[in-house]
Amino acid sequence: MVRLEKGKFDDFIRSLAEDYIVYAAVTAGGKSSFKVVASAGEIDEGRLLTDRSPKEIFFPHSEVLFEYDGDGIRETKKAAKPIAVWGLRGCDVKSLAMLDKVFGTARQMPDNEMFEDPYWKRKYDNSLIFGLACNEPRSTCFCNWLGGGPHSEDASDIFVIDTGEAFLMQPVSDKGKAFIGKMTDAAGASAAGASVAKASGADEKKAAELASGARAMMAEPPALDGLDEKLKGIFHEDIWEEMSAKCVNCGACAFVCSTCHCFDVQDEGKGGKGKRIRIWDSCMFPIFTREASGHNPRHLSSDRFKQRVMHKYSYFVDNYGESLCTGCGRCVIVCPVGVDIREVIKRVLSFEGKGAR
Amino acid sequence: MSNTYIPVNMRVETIAVEDKEKALRTFDLVFVDEADGKRFTYMPGQFCEFSLLGKGESPFGIASSPTEAGILRFTVNRTGSVTNEIHYLREGDTVGIRGPLGNWYPVEKFKGGNVVIIGGGFAFTTLRSLIVYMLEHRQDYGDLTVIYGARNPDLFLYKDELAQWQKRDDLTLHLTIDKPVEGWTGMTGFVPAVVRELAPSTENAWVVVCGPPIMIKFTLPVLTELKFPDSRVYTSLERRMKCGIGKCGRCNIGSKYICIDGPVFSMEELGEIPETP
Repeated sequence: MVRLEKGKFDDFIRSLAEDYIVYAAVTAGGKSSFKVVASAGEIDEGRLLTDRSPKEIFFPHSEVLFEYDGDGIRETKKAAKPIAVWGLRGCDVKSLAMLDKVFGTARQMPDNEMFEDPYWKRKYDNSLIFGLACNEPRSTCFCNWLGGGPHSEDASDIFVIDTGEAFLMQPVSDKGKAFIGKMTDAAGASAAGASVAKASGADEKKAAELASGARAMMAEPPALDGLDEKLKGIFHEDIWEEMSAKCVNCGACAFVCSTCHCFDVQDEGKGGKGKRIRIWDSCMFPIFTREASGHNPRHLSSDRFKQRVMHKYSYFVDNYGESLCTGCGRCVIVCPVGVDIREVIKRVLSFEGKGAR
Repeated sequence: MSNTYIPVNMRVETIAVEDKEKALRTFDLVFVDEADGKRFTYMPGQFCEFSLLGKGESPFGIASSPTEAGILRFTVNRTGSVTNEIHYLREGDTVGIRGPLGNWYPVEKFKGGNVVIIGGGFAFTTLRSLIVYMLEHRQDYGDLTVIYGARNPDLFLYKDELAQWQKRDDLTLHLTIDKPVEGWTGMTGFVPAVVRELAPSTENAWVVVCGPPIMIKFTLPVLTELKFPDSRVYTSLERRMKCGIGKCGRCNIGSKYICIDGPVFSMEELGEIPETP
């Protein structure tokens, strides 16, 4: 673990920006999201959770797949530098790792490039992720329901703890170790322009205190074992209508969700010239599955609500071995009608009607 | 790495109009770049994303058989904005193709068995691919029985080919239309009823059913009635689809994506999925 004094944070970000496109939490017009920064002053350092999820760094809301004109198709160019993300909370780090399972891998035909997503891979594969510990989780956080925690290092390259005066950096992945190694190497440090010191015993103690303090702030989670099977067992029950009754299918939950990855593909152009783009979409919308014939396999609002819950806590488990939810709580915060996914999970777990297993 | 979102260029070689209302057209395409053609190997039951720049993409089952070298065939029903544009294509035009996508009918498993193929309407495309493939490898299979239904005689696809198949003694073809029409010598009645009437033998048999959802819905119980085990009945499903590679999230039934886990599923597999296909 190394220690970066806050006074040197700006030097650190500036030197990082020489080798990487650096993304960090930025608040503008009252809304926060991850944006490209060149200096520490632009960063909303204490931001616990950005309003928009950081998935857009690697999977933008709207992304050009290619451009075309009379001469044919031109693929969009790869950025010259790799991406570094500073200050991703544990839940968001984990969500990127989940999305990497979808975009970065070929589930059906392993090692078949055709089933990998090149737009995701060229950004995510050589990225450097700085996870940032949450010292004060908020009431909507439920990462600890899903195997996470406020000080979880999972999937970070470098895990950072903010002690108030300094950032303590713990290398986690090989990439992270190499980076920190370079920083602590004397020549490398002077080149990087930001010197770090080895963390002291007092630093380590402080980190442990912050971790246990943050954990204590979160309520004991319910056991989610068997949630997947339970959901399958009650697929045809009326409980879905009850749980989704107030949902207006606005899709805000999917928009802010750090793991929702559904998208639409559209052509934008005129007169033989234009671009093919992909754009976020949501299973909450009726046209998501409506076919040209008019047939819609999920024509009821409750069908769509059920799809979102099933995808997160059952289907993704079938395909990738974990839930497609990190407990960031953004959906709980933005839902205009107060649907709380935690209450939905609890209702499902306590359901004892017909079909419950 | 290769970019699967980029379609390869194909030229429209021939266009055939299938019905009097011109709602069904069959397009034979050839690869503009021969190297693309060499890379493109497929099996009956697979599909492609058919791309028109500026208009979009739509998925279609491949109607040609891999044994028919040099061309890819698609039959397109005019229903939405993309299919409408496809119908405006002329011979010589260039289109984009992404694929082959999805899995295929288990022709290896079928070897040595009798195969019953049940089709309805313009969903006959990949069934044609399968039939042509099996006829080309005729010695690998036992009895081939095809039951094909359409609303009226005009709505059968590939009419010339059906006429040729009727003359063959190594394939039994039953054509049926919904209601009697003057001059019609084939069978009359909906596919499920015709299947019940013909009652194909279950002995060492495999069944492939492909058609509109309503036909599949009523044919499957008949097959169960006739004692075909779910593990030997296959169907091909459709859903609205975009990426075709299991990323965009819209074509799932339960935890299966039609585009990468399907489109071909056995009834046994579908039975394990809570969502109705």
